[in-house]
Amino acid sequence: MRFAAKAMTAAVVLLIAGAAIGAPFVPPAPPAPPAPAAAVTPAPRAILKMALDAPRLIDYEGTKIITALRNGRMETVTVAESHKRPNLLRLEYLSPEDVAGRVIVDDGTTARHYEPALNMLFEDHSIQDAGAAAGLTLLTRNYDIVLLGTDEVIGRQAYVLSLTPHGTGVQRQLWVDRLTGTVLRSEDRDASRGLVLTTYFSRISFSLNLPEAYFRFRPPAGTRVVSLQTVAGGTQNPAQLQQQVGFPVLVPPALPEGYTFRGGAVSRFGSLVSAYLRYSDGGNIISFFEAPAGSIGWPTIGVPVRVQAQPGRFIDLGYFRVLIWEQRGLRITAVGTAPSETLMLVAGQLIAGREQALVTDVSRRTEADPATVRRLRSEGLTFPEIAKTFAISHALGTSIDTTVRFVHGSLSVTDLATQLGMRPDALRAAVRRAVDTASMTPALPASAPSGQPAGLSTP
Amino acid sequence: MNHHRAGRLLSAYVDSELTAAETRAVQAHLLDCAACRDAYENLRAARDLLAGLPPAEPEGEFWAAIRGPVMRRATAAASAGWAGRLRAQLWPAPRAQWASVARLPWPGIAGRRPGLVLAGVLIALALSALPLVRGTVDRLHATEIGVDLYVHDHAMQMGTAPLVDRAYVGLVAGDAELVLAGNTPRPVGDSVR
Repeated sequence: MRFAAKAMTAAVVLLIAGAAIGAPFVPPAPPAPPAPAAAVTPAPRAILKMALDAPRLIDYEGTKIITALRNGRMETVTVAESHKRPNLLRLEYLSPEDVAGRVIVDDGTTARHYEPALNMLFEDHSIQDAGAAAGLTLLTRNYDIVLLGTDEVIGRQAYVLSLTPHGTGVQRQLWVDRLTGTVLRSEDRDASRGLVLTTYFSRISFSLNLPEAYFRFRPPAGTRVVSLQTVAGGTQNPAQLQQQVGFPVLVPPALPEGYTFRGGAVSRFGSLVSAYLRYSDGGNIISFFEAPAGSIGWPTIGVPVRVQAQPGRFIDLGYFRVLIWEQRGLRITAVGTAPSETLMLVAGQLIAGREQALVTDVSRRTEADPATVRRLRSEGLTFPEIAKTFAISHALGTSIDTTVRFVHGSLSVTDLATQLGMRPDALRAAVRRAVDTASMTPALPASAPSGQPAGLSTP
Repeated sequence: MNHHRAGRLLSAYVDSELTAAETRAVQAHLLDCAACRDAYENLRAARDLLAGLPPAEPEGEFWAAIRGPVMRRATAAASAGWAGRLRAQLWPAPRAQWASVARLPWPGIAGRRPGLVLAGVLIALALSALPLVRGTVDRLHATEIGVDLYVHDHAMQMGTAPLVDRAYVGLVAGDAELVLAGNTPRPVGDSVR
């Protein structure tokens, strides 16, 4: 039995390694080289912090042009975007014709989307950043942040930052206004398809003292109001979710480097109840939705695929990719910007169903109690994260709960260093040594192969 | 206000159903847009035309044709007690036919109140079938909305991530919301890659 578990682990490692080595990596096309940065420029991390803090400090109003990959074509959308600090946002879409007149007003708590053609108003949760501090911790931990230089955008000087994930996912380039920190332009590149999303302001004005009334939407007479807050507020771990939904909630055994559990919730729409698990590396998110197989049908779009011999469906929406498969009476849907191969590997590992074997293996390697490993799994941690947690906890003498908060990014290096009375640099070095020397369960490959999903086979 | 939006609001403007701000915006647009002025004049003329029409009185035969059968059924129901009234509502059949059905050797209550029993059975069947029908309809609906629901939820969560473009996230989530509300998906843009 133990030999079989080891053999299965080895097979998965080989499979992952094979996928990583065998698939060609196509580097993204280099952007036009910006001018070298001036002699005295802030550090990339400081510029990133400035960009994250800007919405809380600056008001603006401008016209933004968005070009995004959508169902195989690039679509250009124009939107009038107004922001009032700290969290009032108004978006009025101007073109193309089928979105013209759409208005979204967000007060930081609720987003109201008005569709004039239907005279309907949709109410949903806010689409604004919940906390810049936690975002900065994960971004700096999981991305190479490089200052490429300075550039001019609509007559304004901007720092050009490049954010490349250590794992898989889109690489982002930001043009950050030198004076205000506002992102004037952005480009998202996918390793296999190049540019998938670009945004830039064609006009922008700052410090207008926009009236608050402009950010309140009063629907016209006769408007039908629809509440679409499908995902419950707050966050729950998989064990709590399981109690609520009444069916087993599966936790992915491994994810691409840097992705960590950021919360779970119940998604409800009519009689369809799904458990929703969210993993993030700070810049990108992979969402898992799990529902009883009988409660939801297969979508009519996308291509049929096989995931570890199980039927599935892959849908390339452009910026987002969707993989759906069935296992153990559940229909699981993964949505994200991660490459299709990564989604397939994650799905394959879930289907392999080696939960107990991996619990035994990780607890043996880390000399940890299997019950603790199982508890951390029920809190949403992947096996590599659990191994990392034990290694850091042993090296630093921190409690498991504190170490989990650190691994999740809820506790920054600076905060933990202060708690331990260490210098941040010394803490970083100690963490790196602990993780490097630990016998780790391998994470998914970092490279993002191109082309058709590896391992995808049409039935 | 753009031409497209003003066109959508003209009808409500003619009926004085807009807010003060929208009314001012439509008025400002009408000053500049000849096409909308024409559309507005047409709408106003149609409204005035309809308002000027006299109320139509039905002819005498119309009431006679309705009142006769209604009164006959009410009289029959009143003479037959509450069960008869129920029978008259459920099966407005000739009394002779109904009597022959009622004379069948039904045991106990079923014999005395067959209409009531039958109505009860039908209601019980309908209630027991309701979850089945509802479940099937929900499943059919879920087939259509599954991906859009999850893309919507994912996009909304992406919005809370740092440095993600809110205008783009709003566009994706908004498109999904339209599909969830039962509308056809927005067509793909015209700019070919």
